Amino acid sequence: MFKIALPVIILIGILFIAIFLDKPQEPADLVFVNRGEVHTLDPQRMSWLQDFRIAYNIYEGLVRWDNDTFTIEPSIAQSWEVSEDATVYTFHLRENAKWSNGDPVTTGDFIYSWERALLPDSAADYTDLFFRIKNGEAFFEKRSALLDEYKNRPESERTDGAAHALRDETDRLFLEMVGIRAIDDFTLEVTLERPTPYILDLFAFPVFYPVHKGTVEQWVRVDGDTGAIEQQFGWTKPPFLVCNGPYVIALWRYKRDLRLERNLYFWDPDRVVSDSVLSVSIEDPSTSVLAFDSGSIDWLSDVSGVSYRADMLAQHRRYMERNQARYDTLRAEFIEELRGRLGEKDFDRKYGSRANDPYLGYDQVMAQLVAESPALPGERTDIHSFPAYGTYFFNFNCSENFNDGSANPFHDARVRRAFAMAVNKKDIVEQVTRMNQPVASTFIPPGSIPGFKSPSGVGFDPDESRRLLSEVGWVDRNDDGIVEDETGRMFPNVEILISSGGGHEGIAQAISAMWERELHVRTSISIKESKVFADDLKKHNFVVSRANWFGDYGDPTTFLDLCRSTNNNNDRNYQNQSFDDLMARSDREPDPDKRMRMLEEAEAIIVDDQLPLLPLFHRVTVYMFRPGKLRGVSTHPRLTQYLWELEVVK
Amino acid sequence: MTAMIIRRLIQLPFILLAIYTVTFALAWMIPGNPLEREDRKPPEAIVEAMKAQYKLDSPTTFYFSYLKNVTGIAYVAGESDRVVNFGPCLQYQDWSVNELIGGTLPVSMVLGMAAIILALVIGLTAGVIGAVKPGGILDFGSLMIALVGISLPSFVIGTVLLIILAVRFPVFRIGGWGSFGDVFLPALTLSLPIAAYIARLTRLGMIDTLGEDYIRTARAKGVPEYRVVLRHALKVAFLPVLSFLGPAAAAVMTGSFVVEKVFNVPGIGQHFVNSVLNKDIFVIMGIVLTYSTMLIVFNLVVDVMYRWVDPRIEIA
Repeated sequence: MFKIALPVIILIGILFIAIFLDKPQEPADLVFVNRGEVHTLDPQRMSWLQDFRIAYNIYEGLVRWDNDTFTIEPSIAQSWEVSEDATVYTFHLRENAKWSNGDPVTTGDFIYSWERALLPDSAADYTDLFFRIKNGEAFFEKRSALLDEYKNRPESERTDGAAHALRDETDRLFLEMVGIRAIDDFTLEVTLERPTPYILDLFAFPVFYPVHKGTVEQWVRVDGDTGAIEQQFGWTKPPFLVCNGPYVIALWRYKRDLRLERNLYFWDPDRVVSDSVLSVSIEDPSTSVLAFDSGSIDWLSDVSGVSYRADMLAQHRRYMERNQARYDTLRAEFIEELRGRLGEKDFDRKYGSRANDPYLGYDQVMAQLVAESPALPGERTDIHSFPAYGTYFFNFNCSENFNDGSANPFHDARVRRAFAMAVNKKDIVEQVTRMNQPVASTFIPPGSIPGFKSPSGVGFDPDESRRLLSEVGWVDRNDDGIVEDETGRMFPNVEILISSGGGHEGIAQAISAMWERELHVRTSISIKESKVFADDLKKHNFVVSRANWFGDYGDPTTFLDLCRSTNNNNDRNYQNQSFDDLMARSDREPDPDKRMRMLEEAEAIIVDDQLPLLPLFHRVTVYMFRPGKLRGVSTHPRLTQYLWELEVVK
Repeated sequence: MTAMIIRRLIQLPFILLAIYTVTFALAWMIPGNPLEREDRKPPEAIVEAMKAQYKLDSPTTFYFSYLKNVTGIAYVAGESDRVVNFGPCLQYQDWSVNELIGGTLPVSMVLGMAAIILALVIGLTAGVIGAVKPGGILDFGSLMIALVGISLPSFVIGTVLLIILAVRFPVFRIGGWGSFGDVFLPALTLSLPIAAYIARLTRLGMIDTLGEDYIRTARAKGVPEYRVVLRHALKVAFLPVLSFLGPAAAAVMTGSFVVEKVFNVPGIGQHFVNSVLNKDIFVIMGIVLTYSTMLIVFNLVVDVMYRWVDPRIEIA
């Protein structure tokens, strides 16, 4: 018996030791669940929302957003001047801004970081945003050419020394060519390719935030064989990470947790509310809701994978319907109070862009309302949905022929328009997603960009859609229930390509039924794994596919650029010379008002006439938090929530 | 026995090489490109730069460069700072596969050990009780529990346990890891199917052995019944359980996708599935090689223990 028991006893011993060694977390002031695991904390290489969410709190750029008024505020730059022709920006950096090791933040940090972003070797997703800076693109091309040339050298000339010489040459070129210049340690001059009205919005975006040169440089290796500058990422983890934002990373365990603690060198500690923030990773969406319900989570920033999300939102609607009148009164009082406190002029200046935004003051007003009128059984007050700066849509493959060589009827804009008109989008948001998202007839969410007037787009009109299709020649000629062209060729099967998960299947099924019913075509749905789906899109290997786009900055081009012929995200293979010309003219237009009119015209081409894509609904964001228990939640449509603004009320 | 161990250890690298080659071929053939994204595509030049950096442009270059890194040849040559270098993680760029496995495997191993212990305690008890009075109420009861344990999928058991013991009666917390309480529920869920199997194996073995002549001799000598059962019979009846335990331990200690997901345990199980979905070839290779090594070693340990428990057994 002893022989059997011994191994078990040893096992139990190891188990005890292992669990004792693995100390649980100390409690933090604020606990939240991010949208998913953070991919990288290197700001230049970021492209995921969950990464940005952390970046906003550990780094600071030249400027930042005010998440209440949605305007730009000074950050590391305390002031700036813009040249007459709006191409040269001179930023005055504050001299008390420090890195978390005590070093001052200087212009050199910005120059170093922006060069990293522009190096093809860094493989940064958002490199093209830096092409707005003078000669940014030219520098990128130049470095690529230099690397190609290096790789073709005989092996004896490809040494570590040669690679370092190439890097020095590149650094020199960057300073010489690219429109960023240090006038002194605290004055930075940025020259743009052309006037870019939204450039400050970009500078508030984490890819433009600085990194600490001394730290990052220790993890950079120059590869003698390829000449490339290889970035290693050990520096993004504690204790190595040096950052300049309100918080530092105290602990980061992969797919487990990430802990933020105050940065003791931060120049403006008064605006930071919580001393510590814990981001816990919960892989299963339903488990995260259970954890939220059990009270251990203050803010659940993503509920998208939860199958009963729509039901929870319905419970919230039930509560709101019962209390709508009171909510409206409280909100009117809140705005009156705000207006009185700021004065008419300041209120308009600050909140002008949100004058018609029903979510202004949402978290404060909800806190009051919930305190007065608690939820009844069957109601929920802790789930909230806001409009987001994104659109869910379907792509039409606009190529002349499919990849198998057969003719593509969707090459004809009238066919695309007919298919768009046959879709009842209201049914989709009410019956399929059951989230009541705003129905989309435009690509850019209307009202999301001040000064931009959205075109009307095409509506649901089945009769007109059939008429259009027959005008092109697609008529059911042999009464088999499927339309044919003059030669008797059946309309090719409309295969809707979607990726697995994410609720696309229901939407695709509903739309395929609508097309079969209204237009008498055959349809099918093809579900593929994410990576295969992405590959098919890139090769235009689809007829219709689902798609989704979130704008990166507050300008129409963040959406409209997708429809340019040469754009990297032009999955539809849409080629339209007059659209491209109009976009190019708007790029060169110095007058911001005239430019906006041109962009309005450009969107009209897309959504009124050409329909390379079929907008279905605008995205909403769903957060879970308890009003009154968590203060400072922003309803910014780009989901920028600074964690240092959030306050947990004990 | 020493010769057996040495022989097995010599075989190990060859088995691993075969596994490496087959896994590599399969992983390379998964359709789709690991560097592609659904909604936003990085510029073409960037994707090319990434491919070159990760040596993903040619299967042969990748095969040999990766082999060099995992076998330690690269380390000896001074090209790598780790003896066994599983490479970078394509999806989560700040992490290396070594860090990923190093951070998550211990968690899964703790959970797996706890599950094995629970399974042994529950399974042996149920099996012995059943065998002492076959056909009795206790036997029937343990049979029923075993049946439920084997047939109910773990996501059902896990979710039911969570709802009862964490939501309705909040004895345990949800979605945490780091204390005994956090280990118990997932370990219990993970252990039930194994416990059920052990119970069946023990019961059968016990019924067989209890009919043997030497048991009758022992009883005739006046040995107390509990000693007959626990000492004389169980020792022999335990052998089939032991041989089942090797692969079972390797399987639970390398993580369970479902149980880890339901209880939010930060273990390695989820990466098995996610790495394939992400086509993250470095993670796939790293995890498969780790898992294979563990499986082979555990089987060896079980064989050694076999000999130790019952010296009559000869193992080649």
